[in-house]
Amino acid sequence: MADRQAAAEFLKASARGVADLDQRGKLERASRRHLEHLAETAAEFPRYEEERELARRLKADAIGRLDQLLAELRRKLEGRGGKVFFAADAAEARRYIVALARAKTAKLIVKGKSMTTEEIELNPALEQAGCEVVETDLGEYIVQLRHERPSHIITPAIHLSKEDIGELFKEKLAAPYSAEPEALTAIARARLREKFLRADLGIIGVNFAIAETATLVLVENEGNGRMSSSLPETLVAVMGIEKVMARLDDLSHFLEILARTATGQKLTTYTNFVSGPRRPDELDGPQELHLVLLDNGRSRMLADPVLREALSCLRCGACLNVCPVYRRIGGHAYGSPYPGPIGSIVSPPLFGDDAAGHLPFASTLCGACKDICPVKIDIPRILLHLRWKASEGAQPVRWPRRLQRVRSAAERFARMARHPLTMRLLARAGSWALRPFARGGYLRWMPPPLSNWTVVRDFPLPRRPPRAADSRPPKS
Amino acid sequence: MSQFQELLASVRSALGQSRPGPAAAESSRTVPVAAAARRAELCSRFVRELEAVGGRALPVASPAEAAAEIARLAEKAGARRAALGRGVTIDLAPAAEALARRGIAIVSAGPVTAPDRREVREQLAQCEIAVAEARYAVAPSGTLLVVAGASSPRSLTLLPPLSVIVVQVDHILPDLASALRALGPAALAEHQVSLITGPSRTADIEKMIVLGVHGPKELYAIVLWPKTG
Repeated sequence: MADRQAAAEFLKASARGVADLDQRGKLERASRRHLEHLAETAAEFPRYEEERELARRLKADAIGRLDQLLAELRRKLEGRGGKVFFAADAAEARRYIVALARAKTAKLIVKGKSMTTEEIELNPALEQAGCEVVETDLGEYIVQLRHERPSHIITPAIHLSKEDIGELFKEKLAAPYSAEPEALTAIARARLREKFLRADLGIIGVNFAIAETATLVLVENEGNGRMSSSLPETLVAVMGIEKVMARLDDLSHFLEILARTATGQKLTTYTNFVSGPRRPDELDGPQELHLVLLDNGRSRMLADPVLREALSCLRCGACLNVCPVYRRIGGHAYGSPYPGPIGSIVSPPLFGDDAAGHLPFASTLCGACKDICPVKIDIPRILLHLRWKASEGAQPVRWPRRLQRVRSAAERFARMARHPLTMRLLARAGSWALRPFARGGYLRWMPPPLSNWTVVRDFPLPRRPPRAADSRPPKS
Repeated sequence: MSQFQELLASVRSALGQSRPGPAAAESSRTVPVAAAARRAELCSRFVRELEAVGGRALPVASPAEAAAEIARLAEKAGARRAALGRGVTIDLAPAAEALARRGIAIVSAGPVTAPDRREVREQLAQCEIAVAEARYAVAPSGTLLVVAGASSPRSLTLLPPLSVIVVQVDHILPDLASALRALGPAALAEHQVSLITGPSRTADIEKMIVLGVHGPKELYAIVLWPKTG
């Protein structure tokens, strides 16, 4: 059962999000743009549906033999001099990386964009060990300067305006104020370039791993992942165990759909392949490569036949953009590094029911997420499954005495509503009785407690129900 | 039992009885060869797509012409230093000569030894222009497939703000799957490979696109299209 305090905090944070009309406007615009991109994609890439279906099957297949693929990945990567560490949970992953940073006496660490390292809360642990940790994705860099969490999987600073960022850079970086994205990007480029060239350790996430070749694949647009994985002498890649696929041949099917759904691009600017440490005569690439394979609740998801499907997620962020709840409350309200519909199904198994057990209830089950998901994850079904699990064994709701009457009235209504004839008569009577009060087919005012509706919007007059004969489908 | 064995055991028990059958059927597409008849079509698609993501493409008929174009670009950018890799399928030496003739210092990204690694990298970061080779290109996305190695480090296509990448017209392929298949698993396992689709970009500030974040701000693809008799 969900922890009450976490649920109460969620409600408070959502109310704040709903009241923040500025943020809602931004999210609404982002969502509209996203849907436009997808419409263009459908026109430009006729194979899209076919590729989605193929990617879904390939992913389900890979997850079905995850044990073999992980063993193959490890054997081959170690064969080329990589080191593979398995972390059962976030704490183990943090300990390993902190110990490595200490062993390398790493002072400066550059990070490419990685949701998995957000998940394990790596930065505070490294900072405690005395390292300077710099997020190098522009959006992540911005939220790091604000000591915030990203509010979106793909666009971490989606909640900030260019003026906010101009003020931030002026205050934190002593840069001259500008609200031009071009100028702001140039400021960040100069600062971060210097960090890249000096960094002792690089940390990246992984989008896909190919077992056949033991290759880690990282997609991005800015070059932060390429920099972080090419320049520092030691590289740590952190990856959830579900990211592995069988063969190089499988990869193109995922790359063809990921950028299209995530950002409306055909491919991201960079797709980086890392297959091991550099060879002796190479200029760059890490001398040492460490791969941290993270379980952290994923094998629990694997064991649940319904929840298992959630392991197919590519973290494209599309479901956030279309979700009516996310668009109103914003990413921070979820209190999880994975917000939105996908976050609501992966957060309880990853972070525990105490922290996230309430999230599956934060959905209207409208199904937009399932429609847009590039690998067609049935998110509404999994939400229902998690709700069912959360209420399993719970006591039925006890009604307070003064609400008993409301309850029995509701039961009487339910009995009547089951009979089409009664329902039709009631609707007809209602429509007739309300007609004198309506203007233009709508009621502008109703007495309390019904006024709760009419203060916000007009109430449509009940239509006269169609005759039974009209509602029958025409004979063909 | 090692931790990894524990992981495999927990994954195995989680998979339990519900293990699916053998792997999905091999996809049946084969590597299409860029036949002469399709060259023009693939090349023009590649150019169009690359320009749509903010890159530029220049078709040339010979390595000498490529060298002249590169020198012209370097001059236009006011470059004083240029970084050059060594090509595998294309000879970049004429380009080096053409640049040197214009008084541009050449930083050769040849094989390195441990002590001068940092120094070479700093030199590369100082260059205004870099010239590299792409093994393949993907027409429908305007993508260049670049294989790094001792004579063509990844920094080459990453650090200098103006990136020039030369590709042979016959190596422009009709889709991503063909390019990855042409590269093959063995080469992928041995080398650091990158797919590059346009200049470095971001949309992190109010979703407005800005080019040149960490990588190059400008990307030119020089398509080598030899005139045959």
